Amino acid sequence: MRKPAAGVGALITLAVSVTSCSSSFGMPRGSTEQGEEIFDLWQIFFWAGIVVAALVYGLIAWSLIRYRRRRREPDGELGRQFHANAPLEIVYTVIPIVIVVVLFTLSFGTEDRASSVSPTPDVVLRAEAFSWGWRFGYPDEGVEVVSEPSAEGVPGPEILLPLGRTTRIELTSNDVIHAFWVADFLYKRDAIPGRVNVFDVTPTEIGTYHGVCSEFCGIHHAYMTFTVRVVEPSEFDAWLTDAAAIEQEVAS
Amino acid sequence: MSLTAERSTPAPAPAERPHDGPVAWITTTDHKKLGVMYCVTAFAFFLIGGALAGAMRAELADTGGQLIGPQAYNTLFTVHGIIMIFLFVAPFGVGLANYLVPLQIGAPDMAFPRVNAMGYWFFAGGGLLVLLSSFASDAGGVATGWYLYPPLSGPRYSPGVGPDLLILGLALVAISTVMSGVNVITTTFLMRAPGMTMWRLPVFTWNVVVTAILGLVAFPPAVAAFVLLLFDRRLGGQAFDPLGGGDPIVYQHLFWFLGHPEVYILILPFFGVITETIPVFSRKPLFGYTGFILATLAIGALSTGVWAHHMFTTGVVDNPFFSAMTFTIAVPTGVKFFNWIGTMWGGKLAFRVPMLFSIGFLLNFLIGGVTGVMLASAPLDFQLADSYFLVSHFHYTMMGGSVFGIFAAIYFWWPKAFGYRLSERLGRSVFVLMFVGFNLTFWPQFVVGLRGMPRRIVDYAPGLGWDTPNLVSSLGVVVLSAGVVLFLVDAFTSRRRRTPAGDDPWGGFSLEWATTSPPPENNFSSLPRIRSERPAFDMRHPEFTPGSSVTTAEEPS
Repeated sequence: MRKPAAGVGALITLAVSVTSCSSSFGMPRGSTEQGEEIFDLWQIFFWAGIVVAALVYGLIAWSLIRYRRRRREPDGELGRQFHANAPLEIVYTVIPIVIVVVLFTLSFGTEDRASSVSPTPDVVLRAEAFSWGWRFGYPDEGVEVVSEPSAEGVPGPEILLPLGRTTRIELTSNDVIHAFWVADFLYKRDAIPGRVNVFDVTPTEIGTYHGVCSEFCGIHHAYMTFTVRVVEPSEFDAWLTDAAAIEQEVAS
Repeated sequence: MSLTAERSTPAPAPAERPHDGPVAWITTTDHKKLGVMYCVTAFAFFLIGGALAGAMRAELADTGGQLIGPQAYNTLFTVHGIIMIFLFVAPFGVGLANYLVPLQIGAPDMAFPRVNAMGYWFFAGGGLLVLLSSFASDAGGVATGWYLYPPLSGPRYSPGVGPDLLILGLALVAISTVMSGVNVITTTFLMRAPGMTMWRLPVFTWNVVVTAILGLVAFPPAVAAFVLLLFDRRLGGQAFDPLGGGDPIVYQHLFWFLGHPEVYILILPFFGVITETIPVFSRKPLFGYTGFILATLAIGALSTGVWAHHMFTTGVVDNPFFSAMTFTIAVPTGVKFFNWIGTMWGGKLAFRVPMLFSIGFLLNFLIGGVTGVMLASAPLDFQLADSYFLVSHFHYTMMGGSVFGIFAAIYFWWPKAFGYRLSERLGRSVFVLMFVGFNLTFWPQFVVGLRGMPRRIVDYAPGLGWDTPNLVSSLGVVVLSAGVVLFLVDAFTSRRRRTPAGDDPWGGFSLEWATTSPPPENNFSSLPRIRSERPAFDMRHPEFTPGSSVTTAEEPS
């Protein structure tokens, strides 16, 4: 059992961590070209949200303080009995319309760029989800990475992606619906049996990233994780050649 | 029925009323008794659903699996979702509508009292089946998530009897919703008192009428989906099984065609509630009544065209179309915020407990709304969907909004329904505990969501920055629960104390405040003239009544 002091400490840590996260508010900055697009959009939505919330909270706070019933005033004393103000109502209908039109337009453009699929990817990665694990394959090189069936304490499979090259991910499932999500890429897609979802990732930063299944898929859903390591293209090529050699050895 | 209302005498103590035994409650067709039964049953489900949530937060307070196995955990969140959506918030709204619509429009009862009673018992029976589904199964309870996506909910991956019971329970609840919807619509359109035009209809009644229409539109396709799923599970149907040529995406369309209007079914009645309380405690008419009603109608209409924003990450829907529709629905919701602010502007705000909960609603729901606009953007959804950010977003709308609206309604109409007051002093503490506890619970969930924590996981690895926010969130539940427990204390002690409420303890506006507390069997012994949307106010203040012969020299300013 934790002591209350630990709870208070946790609260303070949280307050500090929230305020120090600056404009991204904890959102990863996006380690792929596609993710960076989405991060830029997030910045706009985040600040638009802050401005709108500040304005509305300001108006509410002003109403609550300025128009509270004072102690000297008897309970039940009436406020000014006005009912409507058509010009004002039109203004406060039009302003949100303008805001959402702008946000939609920006969002539409971002989706176009973040979801566009290159006709000539550098690498093709097939990702097949199953209950509960992942079967990753690089068909061009004949390499497969299959996870142990997931359970508590079993590490997920690790795949490599080359820095700066475009990898096409072909995603499907062979039983129930799963989803492929790497939070640092700001991108997820559902893995649906009978369908193949295709999207591109172009990593922009070397690193090791945590991946999860984000669509609930049954008892071991929580443990259906994987790791993505983004490496220099030369290291990627070497790893792929080694892995292909091992597969051939196993096959022969 | 021998009970008659005597307006001049104080309200009789409810214990002396003759028709109050258990048999009278079970066999009743009185809209007020049914309304109370709906609300009490729904509130009991709230306590059950809340206990399930508490168990989940206990498990998530720390990394590692410690208290609950994954199978049980999966059942917990499945049943928690079903209970809170279908057995608590929605039926509580139905209960309020049952109690208030006839009173607010000056009618003696609902149009179809026996259908009304049948609706309640379908709801209660359906609720019982849902509870059974959580454990009456060899493989543990139903564990599919509240939206029962096939193939996971199909015969191969969920062979137990749990999902079948859940489907049958939900079908009963859906039928009950349709029955009460037909009743509310018919009653409002055909049984309004003379002078009560649609443009003088109290805002709560307007909101539940739109809610009822949405129920009629949204539930039948969902029942169709549930029945097809049952065929798949038990009769070898393959509607949603990709191996048999079926398509799980079709299920998602049918389900969310219910699911999205459903969230407005969950919020509109409580928009209605706070739009009753805020004017009363601001001592002012609602600012922009016509605009508010048009916004309500717009929300109702648009809500049937946004369902596939739950499917942005499937890659098989027209994201821009559904994204645009979803952005659009923010506009009428924004309009309502300005209606509420305009109502408080220039008022004499009295911070009684129902008003406190209404203000809490505004403060919480705004965050739900702003994050809702973020989730309307398909590319942002690629990151935020199925994360804790989403979990937090909909709790800010459904709990921070609807549930705070429910408590505003309880404190506001309790004196009317039972003839005695709840405690102002305890009520203020209930509000503070719930408001602080709620924000402490759900604010950290935005943070973990952005840091990549998916929903519906029993366990998470350390070192991902998820530990601290999860601990804070779990501690928040303790504060939140203390608020709910204190409310129960308030309800029981006030019941013992029975401080008489009088007919109109708040200075109310709508017709229910012009009859006794509790109202007599047929609601009214006489009706005041209805000249505006505030007949009870006009009775006390003829000087403000449009078209009234009484004139005053000057308005107070």
